[in-house]
Amino acid sequence: MAVGLYIHIPFCRQKCFYCDFPSGIGSEALQEEYTEALCREIAAQGSSLSGATVDTVYIGGGTPTALPDELLAKILRALWAAFVFAADVECTVEANPGTVTAEKLQLLRVLGANRLSFGVQSFDDALLRGIGRIHTGQEAVEAIALAKAAGFKNISLDLMYGLPGQALADLEQSVKMALAQRVSHISIYGLQLEEGTAFAAWESQGKLVLPDEALTERMYDYMTEMLPANGYERYEISNFAQKGFASRHNLGYWQDRPYIGIGAAAHSYDKKRRWRNTVDVSAYNRKIAAGQRVSEAEEVLSRRILMEEFCFLALRTKRGIPAAKFKEKFGCSLWAVYGESIRQLQARELLAVDGEQLYLTALGMKYGNIVFAEFLLDEESPAK
Amino acid sequence: MQTKNIRNFSIIAHIDHGKSTLADRLIEYTGTLSKREMEAQVLDSMDLERERGITIKAQTVRLDYQGKDGEMYELNLIDTPGHVDFTYEVSRSLAACEGALLVVDAAQGVEAQTLANVYMAMENDLEIIPVINKIDLPSAEPEMVKQEIEDVIGLDTSDAVMASAKSGIGIEAILDKIVEKIPSPAGDPEKPLKALIFDSNFDAYKGVIAHIRVMEGCIKPGMTLKMMATGKSFEVTDIGCFRPAPVIMPELSAGQVGFIAGSLKNVKDVRVGDTVTNALDPAAEALPGYRGVNPMVYCGLYPVDSADYDNLKDALEKLQLNDAALMFEPETSTALGFGYRCGFLGLLHMDVIQERLEREYNLKLITTAPSVIYHVYKTNGEMIKIDNPSNLPPPTEIDHIKEPYVKATVIVPNDYVGAVMEISQEKRGEFKNMDYLDVNRVMITYFIPLNEIIYDYFDRLKSSTRGYASLDYELADYRESKLVKLDVLLNGEAVDALSIIVHVDRAAMRGRQLAAKLKGIIPQQMFEIPIQAAIGNKIIARETVRAMRKDVLAKCYGGDISRKRKLLEKQKEGKKRMKSVGSVEVPQEAFMAILKID
Repeated sequence: MAVGLYIHIPFCRQKCFYCDFPSGIGSEALQEEYTEALCREIAAQGSSLSGATVDTVYIGGGTPTALPDELLAKILRALWAAFVFAADVECTVEANPGTVTAEKLQLLRVLGANRLSFGVQSFDDALLRGIGRIHTGQEAVEAIALAKAAGFKNISLDLMYGLPGQALADLEQSVKMALAQRVSHISIYGLQLEEGTAFAAWESQGKLVLPDEALTERMYDYMTEMLPANGYERYEISNFAQKGFASRHNLGYWQDRPYIGIGAAAHSYDKKRRWRNTVDVSAYNRKIAAGQRVSEAEEVLSRRILMEEFCFLALRTKRGIPAAKFKEKFGCSLWAVYGESIRQLQARELLAVDGEQLYLTALGMKYGNIVFAEFLLDEESPAK
Repeated sequence: MQTKNIRNFSIIAHIDHGKSTLADRLIEYTGTLSKREMEAQVLDSMDLERERGITIKAQTVRLDYQGKDGEMYELNLIDTPGHVDFTYEVSRSLAACEGALLVVDAAQGVEAQTLANVYMAMENDLEIIPVINKIDLPSAEPEMVKQEIEDVIGLDTSDAVMASAKSGIGIEAILDKIVEKIPSPAGDPEKPLKALIFDSNFDAYKGVIAHIRVMEGCIKPGMTLKMMATGKSFEVTDIGCFRPAPVIMPELSAGQVGFIAGSLKNVKDVRVGDTVTNALDPAAEALPGYRGVNPMVYCGLYPVDSADYDNLKDALEKLQLNDAALMFEPETSTALGFGYRCGFLGLLHMDVIQERLEREYNLKLITTAPSVIYHVYKTNGEMIKIDNPSNLPPPTEIDHIKEPYVKATVIVPNDYVGAVMEISQEKRGEFKNMDYLDVNRVMITYFIPLNEIIYDYFDRLKSSTRGYASLDYELADYRESKLVKLDVLLNGEAVDALSIIVHVDRAAMRGRQLAAKLKGIIPQQMFEIPIQAAIGNKIIARETVRAMRKDVLAKCYGGDISRKRKLLEKQKEGKKRMKSVGSVEVPQEAFMAILKID
């Protein structure tokens, strides 16, 4: 069995104003302590997973590249020592353009990372400052060049739309800049106000001016047209890649593949259960040091939940739901369970059916949540 | 038990004046239940009743009490609902009693509903014992309240009992007064059987259980009985009384209160107000029954999920087993599909039934705005009764319309007289008179269209009198009014379930308010939704729900699927409460929006 590994690095130089992911500015001592704990968990997971092949690794955060080189190196070495990897393993490291140097990138390359995901967000300095990013547009351009020089052939960058003060022209400019970088992969994300973030607080005080819905829709339309027109296939609702460069790790989440999360707040799924590690970094460190369990919030997934997630996660991808696989996994036809919903969604032109594949139409991609919610079953539903 | 040692009584009180607490104390004091067995407010056994602090169903309980004379007495308490909607239940309970406790809050004084019920008791020739409750409150003015009872009701209060049910003060005095003052029931156990059915309930194992007061004769198990009105004969298997749980007894004889059960499977055979007699030795004539109960307010009840139609029918039938006042018949709406037109005693009754259906039967329902019964006189001379606005004939066929008016009695401190008159005037009320109950309390009487009462009259009254006003009303007459049908169009299509009948002078304002309210209730959808209010072909108001643009493409962090799932579940929950009307998803509360307009 092949599994994906997710390694969480919960540290950043500065918290972005929109971010509610588990991350913070850790002291050097805390970072060292955490690296120590992480390596111990890696080793422990490695021995309990013996027999499984790891085919994707994703080191995310936070900002993995915010860690000092020697700590990053420790983590990667621990990984290689603990697991058995597929020959073509995809190993991604998330990077903030403001935290990379030629040495750091070379080190990552040497230690086996073969894919970088840069949180570029925009190439406009004013907009970047407005959302709390620590880097400029020019620094992003330079970071990508450094990565290429270090030998990375698979590079992704994230762009955000709907930022405070962002005009359509700003977004168009950023997309053009992104295309000019000739990277293999581009992700797009809309700004969302999350509880507990600086933006949410400013919003409630009336201090945040966001583009209206009509404008963000035009931004979305622009990106979803421009990227495919320039050779980036939309293989997932937020992700675009040149041929052969889709992120295998992220696809794993949508295609019902097992993944193990290592580190504070990391999530895991083994096709039967789902759990999460202790969120608080200090608590995580303490527990690991004391030899205690860090997995919590374990959920044994019922047949109903498995069916629902099989469908609504797969729908994020271009391929959509493979009906044959559904039948193979659950022993009943997709239509027997969702026939009525499927027909209604087709009639509303949100869902298309092509033989054994069910996938979102262009309209469906805009209103994905409406479609996904239709794949939730009633609790008492027999899910025959 | 000899009839001379039996006392049958009920308690008349305004909501919050302490009736249920007093009943609890009586049960406790007489040892009918030990303190441990007592749940707070034993008699309000429905969850809903306990939550809302009201009594909906009449309940009975038998108490055994040793009087001052050393003899044992059987005291039957027949509890009565206190809300104006349930006046009918009160009248049933009172007919089974010889006396009543009139409980009045020492700080609040006599309230409008108390008056209505006490008059009803006096019409039934009941012996009335005034009980001034809550005398230990700092704001209590028992002497003033006594004077008020004398002035307003004309009752002698010289031996009124001073009590605090909460603190257990005066409980024994009340029990002694019941024994001393309330007459023992008349009636001869040797005569042919006559028992009055004053209530019934349905038990899954025993079938219909009739709550009865035996007037003459005696009932024993194995007897064959006959319902005098329906003609239904049956064999009695169980006889008993409530303490307050049912307890089997060997017999019930003249003067006693209790229940009978037997081969009674169909609730329609057990008509409340009917007389039960011995099939082999029948009484010559039946007891005077009750006047039939007529619903005052109608609304449509529709399942959100049309597959629940049969379940809704089953649930309504089950509720009707214990609620003779609930009426329903099938109805079809273009917008909502198949449902039921239901008749209720009033808004609270409607609310309670709807909540019980949702809670006890797990149904998701859409309730349409309540309507009264209009008398529509057509140009062809025919008169039709309309309880659903969408059935109103086209204006060309209508000569005139009459609507029901009620006589509304409001009791309020004199500081608020102005507020009451203002609201009543605004509600098209016609002033009748105003009486001072004492130096600072006033009773105001208005004739008001019931149509206005069921909107927000009571809420407005309460809020503008800081909760001091109490209201009672009874149907007065039908009067001609200039009424029109106000229609609502969503996305260009008229939604029949949203139509209302309004007075022509306020149609335009109501239309604007309703459209604005609906705009706030109907969520954004994938397309723009115009909301229009129209009278005939004339659009009088328009609002627009803008189209929802699209989802935000959100990052799914490190395989955190539970987060995404929660979001979708919330979305689905929201959708469950909506009904597709044409292509528009309309939330439940939209159909009641007219009630929420200020």
